[in-house]
Amino acid sequence: MQEAKLDFLKELANIGTGHATTALSQMLSGKLFQLVVPEARLLHFEEAARFVESLEQVVVGIFIVVSGDVKGHMAFLLPVDSAMVLVRLLTGDDSGEVNDMALSALQEIGNIMITSYLNALSKMTDLLMAPSVPGVAVDMAGAIWQSVLAGAQVINEVTLIRTEFYADGESIEGNIIFLPDEDDFKKIAVLLGLGEG
Amino acid sequence: MEELFVNMGQINSLKVGGILTTVGLGSCIGITLYDNSVKVGVMGHIFLPKSRASDKNALPGKYADTGIIAMIKEAENLGALKSRLEAKLAGGANLFSNLSLNGTSIGEQNAHAVIAELEHFGIPIIGKDIGGSYGRKMRFYIESGIVAVTAVGKEAIEI
Repeated sequence: MQEAKLDFLKELANIGTGHATTALSQMLSGKLFQLVVPEARLLHFEEAARFVESLEQVVVGIFIVVSGDVKGHMAFLLPVDSAMVLVRLLTGDDSGEVNDMALSALQEIGNIMITSYLNALSKMTDLLMAPSVPGVAVDMAGAIWQSVLAGAQVINEVTLIRTEFYADGESIEGNIIFLPDEDDFKKIAVLLGLGEG
Repeated sequence: MEELFVNMGQINSLKVGGILTTVGLGSCIGITLYDNSVKVGVMGHIFLPKSRASDKNALPGKYADTGIIAMIKEAENLGALKSRLEAKLAGGANLFSNLSLNGTSIGEQNAHAVIAELEHFGIPIIGKDIGGSYGRKMRFYIESGIVAVTAVGKEAIEI
């Protein structure tokens, strides 16, 4: 049962990220993105803590709180280099500086991608999932990930859905991670006839 | 030199020499307890302020209310005296500061909880680098008790 649920969540992640990267592609005059096979896992706290490997690598993190029928948290994590390529493609600014304009552009990119992701999931499940204003940070991956988990108030375990994507021709890669609240995760499962969760 | 890492929710300790390190402190708080006369050092990496009944099997070091007391016990087991322990803190930041969720950030709540626990046990806080909106790394040199705090794009500081 657990397997079937996780498989279905992978499917959701694929569709969500597919829509998110399509939205991104429209912003970036048709640049195409490839999705890597999504991952859906139920992680214990200790495993979740170790989920991000290069703790000291500087990354851009965009964090969103999801409210509605399904509550949860979403994070969009990407290496600084990738973020700067996105900023250049979107604004024409090729200074490579993480300035206020770059942060604002990234916040908007995150906003559009995550909204597209959630809209796709809402449509599929007929459950409302509304994003908050995105928070954005440029910092050590460990500090960002830890703050995401703390924001999600992870107790003993957490459902984690991740899809990785990259672009052809440009070095852009990133991860979209969805942490649905435990009870709402069951709601999705029950709705889809996958048992009591 | 021996270097031991302390992950989120863990507590680790060393005696006489070596380094205790924790990386990626965002809203979490890194805490060191040190007894200089026996060179005993304990490091914790607290995730949230208060333990909850639904998290029965949690590591004691995950929460401030269960973590500080567990750290003190670990120090005592290595020969430290509670009355000689001194604490240093780093972390408790609010990385997504534009996301103002219900007032007090988790980082601030963590800092308040850790400081209250240390006060409760009468342990002085002799150095701290907390708050702000950036992540930190903490390295604790057991031989000297010095704690070095580094952050992206900032000068390293000693507390």
